[in-house]
Amino acid sequence: MSGRYTPPDESTLGGLVRPAGARSSTRRGTPTSTHASALGSGFLGLGVAIIAALQAMLGIALFLLRLDAYPSVIPVVAAWLLLMVTFLGLTITISASGERLPDWLYAVFLAALAAVVWLDFVAIAPLGDIGRHATASVSVGFVLLVIVTLRSRWEVLLATAALGIAFVVAILMSTPLTPVTIPMQVVIVALAVGPGITGVLLVSGFERMLKRELDRVLVQSTVAAPRLAVGMLASEELARLDLDAEELLDAVANGEAPLPLPALYSSRASTLATELRLHLIEGRRETWLFHAISESEHLGRRVTVSDPATLAGLLDDVQRDSLLAALWLLAADPAGASSTRLVTTALGPLDPNRASTGGRLVIPVRLEVTGMKRNRVDPGVWEALDRVGRYSDSTASGTVVIELDCAVDNPVDAARPQ
Amino acid sequence: MELIEKERRRLLQSAARTFGLSGVVIAAFCLALPGVVDPDLLPSVLIVLAGQAGALVMVGRSSHIGWVALTIVLGCGALALAQLPWAQSSSLALSASLAPLGAAGVGAVGMVLSEGTGRWLLWAVGTLTSSLLVATAGPTSGLFSTPAIATLAGWVMTLIIGLWVTVGVQRAVLRIENIGRAHHLERQASETEAQRRQGARLLHDTVLATLTLLAHSGVGVSAEALRQQAGEDARLLRQLRLGSTPMPQFSGVYSLEPVAETPLGTTLESVKQRFLRMGLSVRWHGSGQVLLPSDVLDAFLLALAECLENVRRHAGVDEADVTITQGDDTLRAVVTDAGVGFDPADVAAERLGFTESVVARLHDVGGNARVFSTPGAGTTVILEVPR
Repeated sequence: MSGRYTPPDESTLGGLVRPAGARSSTRRGTPTSTHASALGSGFLGLGVAIIAALQAMLGIALFLLRLDAYPSVIPVVAAWLLLMVTFLGLTITISASGERLPDWLYAVFLAALAAVVWLDFVAIAPLGDIGRHATASVSVGFVLLVIVTLRSRWEVLLATAALGIAFVVAILMSTPLTPVTIPMQVVIVALAVGPGITGVLLVSGFERMLKRELDRVLVQSTVAAPRLAVGMLASEELARLDLDAEELLDAVANGEAPLPLPALYSSRASTLATELRLHLIEGRRETWLFHAISESEHLGRRVTVSDPATLAGLLDDVQRDSLLAALWLLAADPAGASSTRLVTTALGPLDPNRASTGGRLVIPVRLEVTGMKRNRVDPGVWEALDRVGRYSDSTASGTVVIELDCAVDNPVDAARPQ
Repeated sequence: MELIEKERRRLLQSAARTFGLSGVVIAAFCLALPGVVDPDLLPSVLIVLAGQAGALVMVGRSSHIGWVALTIVLGCGALALAQLPWAQSSSLALSASLAPLGAAGVGAVGMVLSEGTGRWLLWAVGTLTSSLLVATAGPTSGLFSTPAIATLAGWVMTLIIGLWVTVGVQRAVLRIENIGRAHHLERQASETEAQRRQGARLLHDTVLATLTLLAHSGVGVSAEALRQQAGEDARLLRQLRLGSTPMPQFSGVYSLEPVAETPLGTTLESVKQRFLRMGLSVRWHGSGQVLLPSDVLDAFLLALAECLENVRRHAGVDEADVTITQGDDTLRAVVTDAGVGFDPADVAAERLGFTESVVARLHDVGGNARVFSTPGAGTTVILEVPR
């Protein structure tokens, strides 16, 4: 095969060929896959650092109070100095390098913390009561919090678990367990592992919440779309197909591709033609509601929509906004646990006998929410549905059914959309 | 904004619940050890702690401040009850056991007390009461009561968490709103661009026709004509890509500008030219001077071109007849060839070609298509669109 033109790797294109109707769901972008620290969990890390610093100050005060009790002060002093150097170094590195923690630095950080724990234990082991005398080693648990926004939660939990195990082993080896000493040991272990666990839970909840909000705000932009719209990636894909076609045609025109065409080229031409045809013909069959649901990670998982007559496009901006808000709340699961909740949305069919006053069309909308009790429906749902149209609801065997009548302007009366 | 506020409260509430419950569990375990609490009092202490755990569960569910107050009252009650009888020199184990209750079990509610003066007040009351109650359990180190300091620290830290999450959410929401605005603009631009590209239907029709030829390796067409056609189409696509409105070179009849009405005749001529270059001569009959709305015209021309392409590829003849007739409200084209024909029943329904490109597109504009054919007796296709 001579010539400069080489057809792109077939897998990239072949992977994109899909049956009509399945479009935009297979290659929908994940706009919410942004790095979470861009949304402010970096700020959360600052708060965590403040808490760690506070605890460390308390720990130092406690240590100074008991200075006399230690058989040898040097290891503890070394532990505290090392801890402070690590903490400050880490905080400075993080703020200087833009909230990233490379692997090697993470390893150094963990090694330093391990050394702190070891030094502290060496100093207090002869006292025979780890729980009562541990200071720097407890602060290690809080300093670990600083990385909670930077590393994956498993890494933080593993480090926390290692710290907890170190405490348990040290206690078992040095402290006689009696009803008098046990409470202190339990408390100290809880104090060591508590911050890590709490931090991971809180930060992941925070990130999940912000991602969901980002998802909601991004999907919100579908509300202003025309009656039938193309998805976010439609023009991009069309542009790509046009470019591919242009390159192929160019190759044929300037003789890079021999005529009659070899099989590689002709199969590519055929794939391109099919895809292009699909995009041109099937392009505008979907409404804003379809795009909103297929582009949203949150809605896409739980909500299905059936709107054969593309009636959703007739709703005005307020109705769209409110319907989206209601679906959002219905799909939301406060507990965060996986459940079998599914929201089925069906629009139409139009009843010709039911044109309401003023020649406005009435679109019947039926929402079926499975796996939800009527009294667990967020009150905001009813508030939002009120703005969509008149509704009535019923419950049957764990399924809440909401019937809505949306009055919309008849498109025949208005100027042709688009 | 209201939604995320609600979610933020929910997050802090459930964090307070989890944190508080773990504190209560640890405290209950320590207090239940022999010799820590007066054995007669132990059941009452555990019952109060159970009540407090219930209140904490409700703190996780509801944002009502009553549950927070109940948690503080029951928690402080348990702190006091465990120390009875007063004034007895209490053990080190007791004060150590009360610390997790004061700092986490009760102090956890600090997370939900970060907004509003009333809640601040409640926080101050809760902090003071629980710290003092823990302190009365006795000093552990010199004159200082470490558990009391820990309790105080617990309350302060939970309050910091509450404040920090609140402020963090506010900052993030501003950022998210900016992203949302940018995304909205991007969507509009994407929509406009898609409209522009989809609007260039005539261009895509000729590109599709050429691609289809290439898909069959260009067999049956002279290499020179095919190269010329490909070069022309590539040029049009390049112009489309560069944002201009492509104007086809030959015969000057493709107009890709959005015009409300386009005369049919000149456009038919270009279709004829195109097929002539591919080796199919098309004979027109009837009037060509019809004005059609541009979307109807597009659909009509696409359907016509697809039919002629089918003739060229499958019929085995090199000429076809197209008769255009006008009714009062419809425009009809009859495409006839004297080729090999086929049995319409044999053509699988899911084959994309005809149904998708011709029928679907005609239906879009209110028209329809019918096919009549018998093997060996040629094919007739009737296309109808509204005028």
